[in-house]
Amino acid sequence: MTQDASPKPPAPTVTYLVKVGHASAPQTLEVHAAEGDIKPWDLDSKLRVVKGRQPRLDGPLKVTGQAKYTFDISMPGMLWGKMVRASVPAAEIVKIDTSKAEKLPSVKAVWTTEARAVRFAGQDVAAVAAISPEVAEDAARLVEVTYDERPYVTDLQKAMEEGAPLVYNADQVPGSPKAPVKGNVVGPIVPRRGGPRGDVAKGLAEADVTVESTYYVPVHTHSPLETHGVIAKWEGDQLTIWASTQSISTVREGMAEYLGIDRKNVTVITEHMGGGFGSKLAASAEGTNFSGVACKLAKQAGAPVKMMLDRHEEHLCTGNAPAALMTVRLGAKKDGTLTAIHHRSFGTAGIAGGAGTGGPSGNLYANTPNCLVEEHDVFTNAGPAAPLRAPGHSQGAFALESAMDELADKLGMDPLELRRKNESSPVRRIQYDIGSKAIGWERRNKKAGETSGPRKRGIGMANGNWYVFARGSGVGAEVKIHRDGSVEVFQGSQDIGTGFRTAMAMVVAEELGLQTRDVTPHVGDTRWPEGVGSGGSNTTNSVAPAVRLAAHDARTKLFAVAAPLLGAKAEDLDAAGGKIFVAAAPSKSIGFRQAAAKMPNEVISAVAERKKQYETYRQDLAGTQFAEVEVDTETGNVRVLKVVSVNDCGIPINTLTTESQIIGAMIQGVSWALFENRILDRNVGTMVNPNLEAYKILSSKDMFEAVAIVSEIANAGNNTSAAGIGEPPIVPTLAAIANAVFNATGARVHSLPLTPDKVLAHINAARRA
Amino acid sequence: MAKPPDHDSPASGVSRRTFLKTAGVGAAATSLIGAAPGASGPTVLGPDAVPLALKINGAARTVTVEPRVTLLRALRNHLDLTGAKEICDRGACGGCTVMLDGKPIASCLMLAADAVGHEITTVEGLGTPEKMSAVQAAFVEADALQCGFCTPGFVVASTALLRQNPSPTLEQVKDGLAGNLCRCGTYSRVFEAVLKAAKATPVAGRKA
Ligand code: FES
Ligand code: FES
Repeated sequence: MTQDASPKPPAPTVTYLVKVGHASAPQTLEVHAAEGDIKPWDLDSKLRVVKGRQPRLDGPLKVTGQAKYTFDISMPGMLWGKMVRASVPAAEIVKIDTSKAEKLPSVKAVWTTEARAVRFAGQDVAAVAAISPEVAEDAARLVEVTYDERPYVTDLQKAMEEGAPLVYNADQVPGSPKAPVKGNVVGPIVPRRGGPRGDVAKGLAEADVTVESTYYVPVHTHSPLETHGVIAKWEGDQLTIWASTQSISTVREGMAEYLGIDRKNVTVITEHMGGGFGSKLAASAEGTNFSGVACKLAKQAGAPVKMMLDRHEEHLCTGNAPAALMTVRLGAKKDGTLTAIHHRSFGTAGIAGGAGTGGPSGNLYANTPNCLVEEHDVFTNAGPAAPLRAPGHSQGAFALESAMDELADKLGMDPLELRRKNESSPVRRIQYDIGSKAIGWERRNKKAGETSGPRKRGIGMANGNWYVFARGSGVGAEVKIHRDGSVEVFQGSQDIGTGFRTAMAMVVAEELGLQTRDVTPHVGDTRWPEGVGSGGSNTTNSVAPAVRLAAHDARTKLFAVAAPLLGAKAEDLDAAGGKIFVAAAPSKSIGFRQAAAKMPNEVISAVAERKKQYETYRQDLAGTQFAEVEVDTETGNVRVLKVVSVNDCGIPINTLTTESQIIGAMIQGVSWALFENRILDRNVGTMVNPNLEAYKILSSKDMFEAVAIVSEIANAGNNTSAAGIGEPPIVPTLAAIANAVFNATGARVHSLPLTPDKVLAHINAARRA
Repeated sequence: MAKPPDHDSPASGVSRRTFLKTAGVGAAATSLIGAAPGASGPTVLGPDAVPLALKINGAARTVTVEPRVTLLRALRNHLDLTGAKEICDRGACGGCTVMLDGKPIASCLMLAADAVGHEITTVEGLGTPEKMSAVQAAFVEADALQCGFCTPGFVVASTALLRQNPSPTLEQVKDGLAGNLCRCGTYSRVFEAVLKAAKATPVAGRKA
């Protein structure tokens, strides 16, 4: 994730005046785009395709079962790989005996790890490749591993205690922590964004009212339904990898480096991908090197090897969202004006770092004069975390936004009014109006828990924040117009289910005056112009500008063909509705196909590079959510009735799929709030619920009314004004649900998930109080 | 400290293969299973691959697999019908849903050998990209899919639901799809698609 917000002075630029912001409050922004870049779409742009509701172009393939995911691909002579994973959480490997497995005639290759230290149950130990998945499973069972077991710790709080078993000795701590290391604890770490402001102690002293609470969120596993996996195939020194990944470029780079080969000899393909949510950004995954092992097995066997993880492995070693224990202190004046925000968190990313949760505390309510975020990573003998949709922000917002609710309660203030009072984003102010109206905010209990009867309803809200991330260089696109009038776009990023390929076709269609269906997108192949990893909600806004430029260039070339036919100058032409016409005299027109038929060559090809990212209306992405729940106070069961999410993603390219992403994020958030909890057995250090029945995720029966509202903002920054949406809508959900439960019952649950036992205990405690 | 149970160790591993052996159905058989209906007595199969005659999407297909191979894996790995997905491999997710004599089942929980003599319908049998069924078209239109990995399972389950109940209520749709999981979070749009497909097709003579 990179952020190229500020222009580098020496490069020549072109200045545009852009109508930015929300339609209800337009502003003019002067931007300095790189020379050759075109004026960004803004509030004045008359868009015909972009912003529309386009069903995804790959839909028909997917609903008929014809789409081939990595998991579905097979090829002649292909072998099936299976990993053997450490069954203990901490040990030295004494011996790996693969002889019995190797004796099976159908086993064609075997790999064993060189690492001796086991730090979590699930680590790679050995692998086999055999002629069928069934035989590969047999062979994996025949591998005998002898461990010299060591003490271990899987619990966050236990790992923080003095004398806890050390996950790493002092000299082994991974990365180069810039913060003090004490036992298993690294920190305090001051985050890059939302650094300290003012003096928190002073701010708290100046406050009329303060609150302090500690919140806990357990580990959530990404659980994409297509597990991680690859097929590796060698032809001489050429390696082709079909990967279930969010970043084919990372797989290529990572495998070239691991295998010591030239990256131009590696091709990575991801045609369709079955979900990642951040867990598929690495060359393999955070806790396993399955891609590298598959490549080695394939080389050894002289045959393609397919290595897809099973559900159990997916939970253990492919990443997860860190558990976090967070203490938030807030201070405010009587009128609700915040004087201080202090966020101190201890999170565990298992054997990895990066468990910070301070993003929301450091960046929401940016007018608060005093703010301090202190994050700590705590190592445990558990699978390493991976980015999950706005890493750390859902957990952090659960703490901050629950604390804001507690503060409102203590001040006797409407929680929405408290947020308005401290709001620093003009976008979120608009969103408050939209969202509160959509949920019917006035229906909430004025006093928490005031409704009579055993089933109590309540309404809560919470905010989330995210950032505009965009790659400003190293991204390309190619658009081809063929003489038969067909149009293709080639781009090396992958469609991970967001609708990316459809959005790119829409951008091309917009420029060429065609319908989306007239454009065939090709994505997910490292042979196409360079793409980005789909992380940080940066794919569309990194890539769409390059696609638009390439399409614009192709259009200019086609106009040069059409101009003499229309007796006009190329620069006087426009394109819409499948026609090319004289802008000032639209009746002078020629069909797109007829113009293409007159092309001197078979193909017009236009290749463009992403120009630098420039000034934006906002560098943050605003979002707010409102939730209504019903709590059965006799059983403690929480039912979510409705969630309204209002989000900013710049100009949405495809409103239909943008809404789908927002709905999906709300659902994953509600699932996290109510059900999800990776449980490690503290007696043996292995996962208790590594499946999809005991690791419960939200299903049809738990479904609520999901209302996704895109508050469109012309944001500039690039020629499409697109920002991002994959991550932001999951940030507020945990807190919005918990706040609604409080409004329904008067019980404040500080620890997720909101399971009936916990909710009931808190309702009873609230009654006694 | 108690030793953790080692799921990978040969001592504790009960594979489908050893299960079949201990259940007493493991012995060689070479005749085409299902080709001669009415053969009397319990059939003894395996452990080696045996030919099975299956009826899939209206066509007779023969597949030669070890008796421990599930219907799902026979479809996916031996017949290149990869629409049904193996997501949990234990009946929890519905990603592998196919119809057996018109009823939705989890094909990961059935051995291919047990599907002999039944009509199997997979998602591929419901429509093609060029000629989608009403349910499939409604899924596309409502954007009832994101990554689409769960989608074949939902399409089959929805089709089976509408065949059984051509005019379901929202609650009945939720019940009918309770066995299918989606991680991208498409549920509400799936409901919308199913209700739309129900409306789009006249009840009499409806083919969902
Ligand atoms: S794979 Fe069969 S139900 Fe999950
Ligand atoms: S669409 Fe991705 S799992 Fe359902």
